[in-house]
Amino acid sequence: MKKKSLWPKVYLAFVFIVLYAPIFYLTFYSFNSGGTMNDFEGFTLDWYKELFQDTRLLIIVLNTIIIALLSAAISTIIGVLGALAIVYMKKRAAKNALLSLNNVLIVSPDVIIGASFLILFTIIGIKLGFTSVLLSHVAFSIPIVVIMVLPKLQEMSLSLIDAARDLGASHWDVLSKVILPYISPGIFAGFFLALTYSLDDFAVTFFVTGNGFTTLSVEIYSLARRGISLNINALSTLLFLFTILLVIGYYFITKRNGRTAGAGGGNE
Amino acid sequence: MNKLIRAFVAVFAVAFLLMYTVSKLNESEGKTAGNTLTVFNWGDYIDAELIDQFEKETGIKVIYETFDSNEAMMTKIEQGGTAYDVAVPSEYAIDKMKKANQLLPVDHSKIPNLKFIDERFMNLAFDPGNKYSIPYFWGTVGILYNKDLMKGKEITAWNDLWGPELRNEILLVDGAREVMGMGLNSLHYSLNDTNKQHLIEAKEKLDTLTPNIKAIVGDEIRMLMENDEATIGVVWSGTASELMWKKENLEYVVPEEGSNLWFDNMVIPKTAKNVEAAHKFINFMLDPKIATQNTEYVGYSTPNKKALEYMPKEIVSDERFYPDPEQTERLEVYENLGPNMLAYYNELFLEFKMHKK
Repeated sequence: MKKKSLWPKVYLAFVFIVLYAPIFYLTFYSFNSGGTMNDFEGFTLDWYKELFQDTRLLIIVLNTIIIALLSAAISTIIGVLGALAIVYMKKRAAKNALLSLNNVLIVSPDVIIGASFLILFTIIGIKLGFTSVLLSHVAFSIPIVVIMVLPKLQEMSLSLIDAARDLGASHWDVLSKVILPYISPGIFAGFFLALTYSLDDFAVTFFVTGNGFTTLSVEIYSLARRGISLNINALSTLLFLFTILLVIGYYFITKRNGRTAGAGGGNE
Repeated sequence: MNKLIRAFVAVFAVAFLLMYTVSKLNESEGKTAGNTLTVFNWGDYIDAELIDQFEKETGIKVIYETFDSNEAMMTKIEQGGTAYDVAVPSEYAIDKMKKANQLLPVDHSKIPNLKFIDERFMNLAFDPGNKYSIPYFWGTVGILYNKDLMKGKEITAWNDLWGPELRNEILLVDGAREVMGMGLNSLHYSLNDTNKQHLIEAKEKLDTLTPNIKAIVGDEIRMLMENDEATIGVVWSGTASELMWKKENLEYVVPEEGSNLWFDNMVIPKTAKNVEAAHKFINFMLDPKIATQNTEYVGYSTPNKKALEYMPKEIVSDERFYPDPEQTERLEVYENLGPNMLAYYNELFLEFKMHKK
């Protein structure tokens, strides 16, 4: 055990290269002046310029972010309430049934969820567009939030609540001053996971877009069908950078949370 | 708790800020109510500069949306909730939409440029008197092949595709009418044959072609042919001319047994909100100079007689893309065969697609 073997590191590097190579390949050719992904002719930023002049595409990008933020926020609120209901349910059988129903939604294929939403929306007469996309994203994000919040609730000791009640806390105090602060890391994790799910969802969105409203993934798909333009590479690169920023942001938030919790605070 | 509330308020605030930005951007694009025109066209089927020019000349803002099949377009219009002012369906779709009462009649007095259209393309069976539709482009279905990979051999007929040397080299478009029509034509039957015996014969003939077929694909055919992935593609004439611009070793032929002649016409759907602007747009597209520019960009054949005079001689005299009336005689237009017969075509096509190699 004196000298660590080199192999684990080599293996790790290899895995990461395999995972990231396609993205870097794509990024590399987004600077190609040649116009195809076959050979690299020279450096250019033209594709990025073209991208920023395309107002239509810009609107689509913003719409995608709006949908992601709103659907993640709404589904987090509903999901947290759902998780609370499941954990503090008295009947064991009902609890298990609800949990299983929640899990079924996570594992069932997106295509089926999307198709059934399309049928539902056309039957009840909701126009396809912003509302239909938002509603379906909220719906498929809720189970994810529930799954992220539940473990936090389960690990929380019931005596904490008893102690709070003992000291004269009302129901509302218990919820807002004890439970929610305790599970807030789970809430944030659920929110960010819902955000990424919504950002990159293709299958469900594909079914429920319409009337000129599209999100980025659906738009890229229809662009790619017409033949690959390096515009798409530029766009994907920017999207990749955006996700990296999100991850870094998430890292700092959790780090700060960790510190305040460690210092004994965190019940704000 | 407060921290959570603050975080969520921030998220909603950002979202609404972005929504405000989007609505501002939409306004700058002119997509608010007012004098706008919504055009619903096939992907990559117009020179985008012409839209800008139209906007400048008339002050009407154009919202441009695209579809990739007649069926998708019809569903969107049928479903309602959309307000397309001009759409560009193919002839059998026009027939269907006309019967379903989804089209508004076109006022010819508002389209003076109609006089430039060749008589040959007016007053056709799918729309007598052009009451509902105005010609946009026309073309054929044929065989595009790579001369280098064929090593000097020529293709002139559908039946040439059955040659044993073409094993795993043919790409087909994913369309029931196109592929079944190819089978029917190779047996010298009509494209619009409704005799079930003939159709089954055609399907069985197609089954024997399966060893030669590499794939049945959509728009990807362009990329595959461009990269020499296959020797032969059964395509529409516009796809062929576009690719032949890029690659000199490609050749397009309309098979001698006959093939499909198709038309894409401009129509005004019943849901149109700005009928006045729709007429202006149709008239604008028929202007000979505009039609010339558009044809040079799109690559399909224009029905505009006057525009042909402005175009380079070698394109107009190219019989592969502008066959003269004698040659178009052996070509057929798809007729609307009714839902039952169409379903039968689709069923046979599906069976053919599942046929084991």
